[in-house]
Amino acid sequence: MDINSLGVAMALLGAASAALLAGIGSAIGVGMAGEAAAGVVTEDPGKFGKVLVLQLLPGTQGIYGLLIAFITLSNIGILGGSSDVSFAQGLMYFFACLPMGLVGLWSARRQAMASVASIGIVAKRPDQFGKAMIFPAMVETYAVLALLVSLLAVSNIGRIAI
Amino acid sequence: MAVLQMQKISIYALKKDRKAILEYLQRRGVVEITDPETESGVFAQADTQQQRSLLEKNITAAGQAMEVLSGYAKGKKGLLSSFEGRRELTADQYEAAAARIPETRETAERILSLSREIAEGRAEIQRLQTQIDALSPWLSLDIPMQLKGTKRTRVFVGTLPEERTLEQVLTGLAEEAPKVSGIHAEILSTSADQTCLFVICGRKDAFAMEAALRGIGFSYPASPSDKPPKEQCEGLRARIAQAQDRIRRAEEEIRSFADKREDLEFLSDYESMRLEKYQVLGRLRQSRHTFIVEGYVPQREAAALERQLSDRYDAAVEIEPLSDQDDPPVLLENNAFAAPVEPVLESYSMPARGEVDPCTVMAVFYYVLFGLMLSDAAYGLIMVVGCGALLAKFRNMESGMKKTLQMFLYCGISTMFWGVMFGSYFGDVVDVVASTFFGKDVTIPPVWFIPVDEPMRLLVFSFLLGIIHLFAGLAMKLYQLCKAKQYKDALYDVIFWYLLVGGGIIYLLTMDMVVNMLGLGFQLPAAVGNVAAVFAAIGAVGIVFTAGRESRSPFKRLLKGLYGLYNISGYLSDILSYSRLLALGLATGVIASVFNQMGSMAGGGVAGAIVFILVFLIGHTLNIGINVLGAYVHTNRLQYVEFFGKFFEGGGRKFNPFSAKTKYYKIREEN
Repeated sequence: MDINSLGVAMALLGAASAALLAGIGSAIGVGMAGEAAAGVVTEDPGKFGKVLVLQLLPGTQGIYGLLIAFITLSNIGILGGSSDVSFAQGLMYFFACLPMGLVGLWSARRQAMASVASIGIVAKRPDQFGKAMIFPAMVETYAVLALLVSLLAVSNIGRIAI
Repeated sequence: MAVLQMQKISIYALKKDRKAILEYLQRRGVVEITDPETESGVFAQADTQQQRSLLEKNITAAGQAMEVLSGYAKGKKGLLSSFEGRRELTADQYEAAAARIPETRETAERILSLSREIAEGRAEIQRLQTQIDALSPWLSLDIPMQLKGTKRTRVFVGTLPEERTLEQVLTGLAEEAPKVSGIHAEILSTSADQTCLFVICGRKDAFAMEAALRGIGFSYPASPSDKPPKEQCEGLRARIAQAQDRIRRAEEEIRSFADKREDLEFLSDYESMRLEKYQVLGRLRQSRHTFIVEGYVPQREAAALERQLSDRYDAAVEIEPLSDQDDPPVLLENNAFAAPVEPVLESYSMPARGEVDPCTVMAVFYYVLFGLMLSDAAYGLIMVVGCGALLAKFRNMESGMKKTLQMFLYCGISTMFWGVMFGSYFGDVVDVVASTFFGKDVTIPPVWFIPVDEPMRLLVFSFLLGIIHLFAGLAMKLYQLCKAKQYKDALYDVIFWYLLVGGGIIYLLTMDMVVNMLGLGFQLPAAVGNVAAVFAAIGAVGIVFTAGRESRSPFKRLLKGLYGLYNISGYLSDILSYSRLLALGLATGVIASVFNQMGSMAGGGVAGAIVFILVFLIGHTLNIGINVLGAYVHTNRLQYVEFFGKFFEGGGRKFNPFSAKTKYYKIREEN
């Protein structure tokens, strides 16, 4: 068997793991924050809008994961077109997807913890919403950086001929 | 762009004008009342606790009455009613409503007492129902349960534990009291845990019988009826019907108050206004015939207020400039372009005394950064149209809501601009529709470039914007320090950093590696790099020697200076942080394309078109929601952390004037 025929499989493994890991992280995160938000809403339904924003913050990792997965899928030709990916390239796609997947998984969970704490702020001092929003957003930075690395890598691999 | 200059105001007046002056000040709403600084013998503060708690009770009553009312008579409240703002009342309408206040208070009381009546009625029904349930096993008994017997007989009515048959009972009784004869027993009803029993015997055997019954576990019912159970039941049912009738009448009466909702709202507002007045009253210094109001007033209102007060009343008004000990509240004033971002600033912090109002500079960056993160012409258009329509429809909107919508309107315009620059209209919907349904290749070309194809280019542009943003923050600090005449600090804390960071960046641009990595189309000559390196070195040395200037010991100063230089890593991470502009910008476009592609998977034709439209509507609604939220949060973050971190500390207190803080109505001022 030609080992290069495994290239596209490796690349797909990468795309899948980006979507998988980041998606799992976001699902856990949004779920955690949702529980806290529901608790606040039982006490004061008027805070729904504010806690909803905080709940959604850990949801972005899943979207970033989807983004990397989609760009990878379209670059390796799974979404129509021919898939001409060597084994080395496939491995590169796989590694390129890892930052988004792993950082997405972990940062979404930690961001959710910050979100839960911030929901606590909104419950007690709704006027401090602006500051409460910043704490989870600080965690997001690292997901953004991981996205950036994955994105730059994935979109440039096609130009390397090995 | 300005923090309005405040002045101190003191009003000295006679007590006979107290009510009038306070009401006048409340209507004008330009003075923030402060607590008197010193205690003095002649003047005392009045205790208004009692009136205040009465007013608070009235406000609560009005609120509860409205709540009860909305449970029975639905008010017309649209989906968009939160944009409506407070309704305006003219002076005449105000007078008319105020005249109805006593009547309205009664209405509120009446509604509450009706609501209590309903609750009581429901509780009674519950109680009666329980009694009926308790009687149900006895229904076949046609004598009162309390009946003990006749002249010659003795009757036992009661229960046995567990399920028993008549035969078991009779056998049991025969065993316990073998001598007693002539018993008649009936099982009235049985269930798994009890048997209801009726036994009659001759009076002479009563004692033996009772002992025998006890022997098999007999007990009298807890609450025996004095009428036959059936009759008793009917009586209870009649009382339930009465209670239901009372509830129905009470509900009808509550419904008849549906048109009083506006009066109740007015009552709540009216009492809130009085509460505010009494709160102020409690803080004033008063003697037997005079009183003093002290507070802060914006400078531009001061002269007019002084003139009007001394014209209308026997009052002496004194306006003073602020002294250093004062802690004046902060009121911002901005033009239509910058005012919309005031709520964003407020949710961080108001500027402290001596700090500038950053709104104007912030507004420019806010709109640009937001637009770049969302960067889709169609999404921008939707935001502009949506916010514009709401602003046009609800002209009476509260100012906070209005500013927020205006902010999103401007952000929408910026989003459209960047969308056109990057050629994104609902992502790539034009390409997808053209190729799926019409078999043609149509693309709207970007004015500048397509970010997905050249992410590095957008990344470099993001960093460039970031550097401009950070340098603007430093410039604000420079301005602030120069305004406070701290020129040395300006040199040490701003100019040296400009030299170091600016020089460093220019030097990097002369290096082959950096230029290749960033894919720049130009490279600065080495000579420029050398000059830049010299500037950066001057900056670095300056920082090492000055950053620790507060410490006396030279060793400590040097260490602090080196630590100050370490802040360069802070600048690095600040600049890298702007890469989120690229990440979020790409996210919008790519997710939009994902949805377009999903929609087109059903192919062309009518069925394909229907699928496409459905996916298009749901997908893009979702995408707008998520990405507007993302752009909003991350623009705020860039402003709060990166931009404000360079110069703004905040800690000011928002101007909170003595005014009519109402919930439902706004009284129009007619002079």
